[in-house]
Order: sequence, then C-alpha cells, then structure tokens
Amino acid sequence: MIYLQRKGENYMLKKKLVLLLMIVVGAFTLAGCQNKSPLTIWVGSESQAFYAEKMVEYVTLYNSTHSEPFPYDIVVKAVDSASAAATFLDDTDAGADIFTIPHDNLGKLITGSSSIAPITKQALLDQIASDNPAMFINVTKGVVGGTEYTFGVPYVAQSLVLYYNKQYITPTQAQTWEGILEAAVAANKQALSLTGSDGFNNSFLLLAREAETKATTLQLYVDANLENNYARGDDTIAKLKWGQRFFNHPNGARMPSDSGWEIELKNEISLSLIGGAWNFKAAQAALGSNLAITILPSFTLTEADAYGTIAAGTVFQSGSFTDAKMFVMKKTSDKLAYLEDIIMYLSSKEVQEESYVAAANLPAYKNAITEFEAMQLDNLETQLAIAQINMFEHGIPQPFGANSRFNVYYYQKGAPDLIVEILRNTNNAFSTDSAIMAQMVIVERVWKTGLKE
Amino acid sequence: MDDQMQKKVNDSNPQDNLPNKNNLFKRIVAFLVNGFRKIGQRLQHNVQKSYFVFKDGSIGTKLSHIIMGFGNIKNKQIIKGLMYFMIQVAFFLFMFTSPLVNSTPLGIKALGNFITLGTEEGDIFNPTDNSMLMLLFGVLTIGIIVMFLFAYSSNIKSAYKSDILKRTGKKLPSFKEDVLELFDGRFHVLMLTPAIIGITVFTILPTIFMILIAFTNFDSLHPAGLVLFDWVGLDNFKAIFGGTGEIAVRFWPVLGWTLVWAFFATFTNYIGGILLALLINKKQIKFKKLWRTIFILTIALPQFISLLAMRNLLSEYGPLNTMLVNSGIIEAPIKFLGNALNPTTARITVILINIWVGVPYTMLMTSGILMNIPTDLYEAAMIDGANKRQVFINITVPYILFITTPYLITSFIGNITSFNIIYLLTAGGPTVPGYIAGSTDLLVTWLYKLTIDQAEYNIGSVIAIFTFIITASATLLTYRRSKAYKEEDAFQ
Repeated sequence: MIYLQRKGENYMLKKKLVLLLMIVVGAFTLAGCQNKSPLTIWVGSESQAFYAEKMVEYVTLYNSTHSEPFPYDIVVKAVDSASAAATFLDDTDAGADIFTIPHDNLGKLITGSSSIAPITKQALLDQIASDNPAMFINVTKGVVGGTEYTFGVPYVAQSLVLYYNKQYITPTQAQTWEGILEAAVAANKQALSLTGSDGFNNSFLLLAREAETKATTLQLYVDANLENNYARGDDTIAKLKWGQRFFNHPNGARMPSDSGWEIELKNEISLSLIGGAWNFKAAQAALGSNLAITILPSFTLTEADAYGTIAAGTVFQSGSFTDAKMFVMKKTSDKLAYLEDIIMYLSSKEVQEESYVAAANLPAYKNAITEFEAMQLDNLETQLAIAQINMFEHGIPQPFGANSRFNVYYYQKGAPDLIVEILRNTNNAFSTDSAIMAQMVIVERVWKTGLKE
Repeated sequence: MDDQMQKKVNDSNPQDNLPNKNNLFKRIVAFLVNGFRKIGQRLQHNVQKSYFVFKDGSIGTKLSHIIMGFGNIKNKQIIKGLMYFMIQVAFFLFMFTSPLVNSTPLGIKALGNFITLGTEEGDIFNPTDNSMLMLLFGVLTIGIIVMFLFAYSSNIKSAYKSDILKRTGKKLPSFKEDVLELFDGRFHVLMLTPAIIGITVFTILPTIFMILIAFTNFDSLHPAGLVLFDWVGLDNFKAIFGGTGEIAVRFWPVLGWTLVWAFFATFTNYIGGILLALLINKKQIKFKKLWRTIFILTIALPQFISLLAMRNLLSEYGPLNTMLVNSGIIEAPIKFLGNALNPTTARITVILINIWVGVPYTMLMTSGILMNIPTDLYEAAMIDGANKRQVFINITVPYILFITTPYLITSFIGNITSFNIIYLLTAGGPTVPGYIAGSTDLLVTWLYKLTIDQAEYNIGSVIAIFTFIITASATLLTYRRSKAYKEEDAFQ
C-alpha cells in the first residue's frame, strides 16, 4: 500500500516537472511571437522627448492629409548618436529605420554595399542643397560601387568651444591662450582642462591655422585618399612645441584626470575647458553663474616654438572639428517608402528651430543665426550657439566619412596617444625638434596605414 | 638493483622516470593518441553493429534505413513510426527547401555557404551576402544534421528492438506505454533531452562558432552584411608570434600581467582571508560576530559600487589625495590608477583594492571551516604533547587546504577572467602609447576592447581561445594533482 502510494507521489512529481518544462518552453515560444514591427527612430537621449512629440504631430498631420491613416506605430528611442552606427552595424536587422549619426560615421555605414539607403526623393535633395552650408552638404555624400550618392540629412551642427570661469578670466583674456595662462598664473590655478586626450579633443591644436592667412600644411585624408595625410609641416611641429610648453607650464593646460573635468572646473583646479555642446549642462552645473562661453582662443609662437619657416610671433587660431549630425535610413527597412517624408519633416527649418529651443540642438540650417528668433536672445544658450557657429570658420568637418578605414586609423590605432606623448614630454623624451619630427612621422604612418612600423 | 630489474621497473612505468616536462608532453600525446584510437574503435564497432542489424533485421528494419519509422509502422507501432517519419520529412524539407532567415539560407545551401562564406558582394540596391550569418547557419545546419543522425539511429534501434521482441514472443509496447515509460524507466531521458538540446544550442554551437571566427578575417574592415569575409587559416594565430600589429606586440605582456595578477589576486586574498579568519576566531577576540559582519558588509554591497567608490576615493582630486595634500604629507596629488605615471603604481593599487574586496569571501569561508574542525583532533594532539605551532601546521592548515583547494583553483581561474575590477578601476590604463591594450589590461578586458569597441572579432576570438586553453589547463592540472581530488574521502 505504502509502496503504491509512494509510486503515485513519484508519478505526480514527475508530471509536475514535465508540466513545468512545458510552461518554460511555452513561455519561450510566446516570447518569440511578434506583432507587426513599429517604425523605429533613434535619436540622442537629449532629444528623445522632443522628437517623440514631433512624431505624434507628424502622424496627426499625415492622417489629416491622407485618406488612409499612417500604417505603423512609431517608436522614438534614445540611442547615443556617437555609438548609433556601431550599434546599428552589430545587428542591422534589429536596427532602427531612421537613426542619427555624426557625419564622420558615414564611412563605416556605407562600407561595401552600404547598410543605409541613399536619398532619392528630389524634394528632400533640394532641401539639403538649399538649407545647409556647403561643408555640410559635402559630408552627406559617399561613393558606393563607383557612384556618388547623398545618404544623410543634416539637422544638428556642433563644434568645440571654450567654457571658462569668468570670475578669474576676463573676456579679453579669453581671446588668447596667453591671456588665460596669465589669469591662471595670477590665481595659481591651471589654465585649461580637457574632456579627453583623444583625436577629437587634440583638434584645437592640430587643426590650428595661421590667424592671418588661415593657412595650414596639415592634411587629413584630403580628397578621401589614404595617402593624402601630412603631419610633418613646419607649422605642425611649431604648434606642437608651443603645445608642449603649454601643457608643461605649472599653470598651463592639464591632461584629463580620473577625477573628471567637472570636478576640476567646480573645484577651480582649472579655469577653462574645451568642450562641445554636449558638455554644456555639466559645465553650467560646475560653474553656475561664473560660466562664460566663447570661441577657442588664439596663441602666439615664441622664439622657443619657432621652427623652420615658422617664425616667432606667428599667431595661430585654435581649430576644431565642426560636425553635422545627420538622419540616415536603413537600407533594408520594409518601411522605406515612408522614411524620406519623415526625415524631410524632422530636418525642416521649423523643426530645427524648435529643437534648438527645446533641446539646445544647434541647427545645421545655414541662416539660423539671422533667421531664428530664438537665436536673438541674450543668454548662455545663444552664446553657445554663436560660439559654435563662429568656430565653423576655423574648423573642418571630420574628413573620415568617405571610408571606414579613415576613422579607425585616425582614432583607434594609437595616433592620439603618440601626440599626447609629445605634449607630455615625459623625461624630456620630446624636447628636441628631431624627436618630435620622428614621432610625427609615425603618426602620419598610422593615419595612412593603421600601423606604427 | 640489477640491470634487469631496473629495466623491468622502467618497462612497467616508463613515464615515472622521465623528467617532468617530457613526462607531461608524453602524457598529452598519449592522451590524444588514445582518444583517437578509441574513437576509431568505436566507429568500427558501430559500423559492424549497423551491418549486423541490417542483415539480421526484418524487412521493416531494413526499410527503416531508407524510410524512417517503417519498421515501427509495420509492427503496428503507428504513432511512433509516424513520428520518426515526420522527423525525416521535416529534415528533408529543411535541407532541400533551405528556408531563408534574414535573407540567408539554412539547410543544404547553408553547407555550401559555410565553405565559401558568401559570394555575392552586393551593391547599393542589393544586399551583400552576410558571411557571419552564413558561418552561423552552417554550424547550425551541421548541428541539426547531427541531431537528425541521432534520431535516425534511434529509428533503426527501435525497429530492430521491435523485431527482437516479436521474435521472442513478447508484446510490443503501445505508444501509450512508450509515453508512460518516459515517466518511469526512461524518465532520465525525458528530463535530460531538453537540457542536452539547450546545451547544444546555447553553449556548444556558439562555442564552435566563436572558435571558427578565429580562422576568418571578420574584423572592423569586414562588417557582416556589408563586406564579405573569408577563411584565412591560421593567420590570426601566426599574428601572435610575429609582426608589428597590436596582437604581436601586446599579447605576451598582457598574458604575463594576467598571470601575475591572477597569482597575487588569488593568494593575497587567500592568505589574507585565512589570517583574518584565524584572528577573529581567536578566543581572546571579543564581539566575533560584529567583526565578521563588518567585513561581510563589503560583500553585501554590489561590487561595482564598492569599486567605483574606491576609484573616486583614490582619484587625482579625490578625498585621499586632497587630505594628503592639505595635511602637507605630499605636495602634489598621486595618480594611483588609470592615469598613473608608472604602470607598477596602478598594478599595485588594483591588487590592494582587490584584497579589500576579496578577503571577506575567504574569511567567511575559512571561518566556517575553522568552526567545524573536530575539537577531538586538537584534544588528541594536545594530549600527545603537540604545541600550538605544531597543531596549527599539522591540523589546521591541512584541514583548511584540503577543503579550500577547489576554491583556490576556481578563484585563480576567476581572477584570470576577472573583468570588473580592472575595467572599473583603471579601464586598462595607464595607456601604452599607440596600442589598445593598456598596462593593467587583462586578456578579458583587452578582449572586450577589441570586440566591443574595435569590432576586431577574429583577433578577439584568438584571445578567447588562448584564455580558455590557459584556464582549462590550469584547472585540470592543479585540480587533478590536489589532495582534494586524490583523497576525496579523506575527511568524510
């Protein structure tokens, strides 16, 4: 009897185990079932709420002008623009139908047969041509299979600017690095903090041009050619010598610390910062009412910096990469027929102005500074916008969009660290012109081949 | 011992008289040779057995070799036979229709694509063959073929079993009886089948896929679905031993530091934990529970929070440096971690922080062991006149070592693949100018950077294979030589 009872219990236990197994399998099966997929848009986290609201308006507008309602649900997700291209390439099928990228990411997206679709709607191509400065129009294009196409629609622009502590630095001092250094010496602080020591942040020095002639010998992937890189010009060596002094002065610039630039600004360890619009809110939080914004300063070479044909007294204006963020479309999207209209709406002049007001996105629209009412206000946001727009004159768009190798070689194969080594000059390893030149030969090789030797 | 006797000893156990290195090498070779020999013997046995079954089986069994389930159907086991038949139909449909998933075929076409990894380069309007999916689907199809072969073999066995039962005059089980048998005599089969399928799909196939990537040029310049990638043989492995690339220059230093880190991280925690446990366990120490609780608090906190707090504490303008500067002990802040001027500073710092994070684990475990050492052992030793040192060395230490050896091994392996501590504290820094792998990068943090940040999947795969070889070898060698393995029942 007991035996039979135990056998029954055993049987029930086994049945329960099998039932549990079936529930688990069933749950997985149900999880695999999908409804009709929504139209997905990725934008930066700072703009997600704004564009989600705009898409609601777009659908309302669409439904009022079409006999059929808009056929898809729309999901606007926050995905950092800087990493959107990489995230998209990890699994293009799971990627958004529309997403935003910095223009220099175009190369990796159009590698091979391209993962994004070219713009074909004439009205949108006309809008791109009429609304954007020439330098942004150029970076929307790429070559696939020997033919040039337009792939992106600029809607946000950005460049590096100077955030500074106006309690210590006057507006006049902020015009030159010498002035800022003078203020730093007087206060026994450090002149400048950087947000990073990478190839983007060193552009203030590397892309500096002679202030009078706007000339530079530096070449970066000119004409989208790997061979067209040059980092050994007299002006480049002279700029690096100046930079070396600036970074080694006790009150000069400092390389990023593990405390973070926010702490350095807040604790008044340093008095200024080179940063982008994406650093604005943190800079404001660190400096409060002492925050002021202007274009990146100029600097003057001394006898110690003169090299070759570049004499002491030559003035250089700091440079910057001036970039556009663009909307692009997934090539394999099954909703391709609807995407260009949506992008046309989101990149329109009106939406760009609203985006500036709502999310502090600097418009890519070429006449924004004169035509946008919001840009006539006297506030920090306007200072930031105007400083960025003025920096466009002293910068170049990152020339890495034509080919995925350019971005990889410039940023990821160690060249920025080699330049940092020159600037740090640890143990006086780069205190001679020849040592700097030798290092720049390697930098140039890395830019061309990705290899140091 | 005369020569003859010596020869006899040598013949009986030749490996014992060889130097260790040769001994190990010979054992590995012998292991491989034996492995292949056994596989050969097994294959031969199976072929012979299959031939016998085919010859000895009824017409139903013979036809089951062509049409699955025929033998069962012929023996009135209709449902069972139909299930086998359906498996065959499904398999052939799968193989010959080659269904598309994300525009990439499975089935027989996947086998062809597995060899070529794609041929269609695509253009702006047409997609490129996705080499990565082709590789994956090739592996998946091979996996499905293997599973089908199991079903095929089971079908023949089932048909032949029915023949035998019939010949011996026994009743053939009905489908219901077969199902009930699954809940009784063959319950282990029912429960293990999903687990085996799960392990195959989620562990074995991805591992094979990962290993195969090491033999391709799947990297940042060959993104899947945009540019075709191809088989490159052993090129990625050769890159470790020559050339001027990242992997050639940085592999050995990173491996060296990984082993140094694993050694110190393991033994400092181990010894520190034991000493702490012994200290707390001393009779003279009061409030034992309080002390244990305080140390266990570091376990209660999520580790990444502890690490980030520690990073902030030690940062250039963090509380520690501020305090030291303000009190005049140092003039300028010390760079302890990722931006340290000297890699040794950063390395020592991470090892010290690891002690702080890891010691409580060992302390907790050792405390448990110490409390459970039979007191009669100590009493007997004392009666025999042993002093405290002798008791400690001859009773306490062996007891702790015996129980904690497996922990020590897993801890060493865990430290080789320790990601959090290095990545959160230094992110691999200080940087080595011109290279991705920094001075404190371990193989796993380097692997993370190479794959997630740089999309160099082929090189990452090579490093993953090496990491696996190191961890697996270390585990096997040390564990098999430990007393915990050799004298499994000693302390029971």
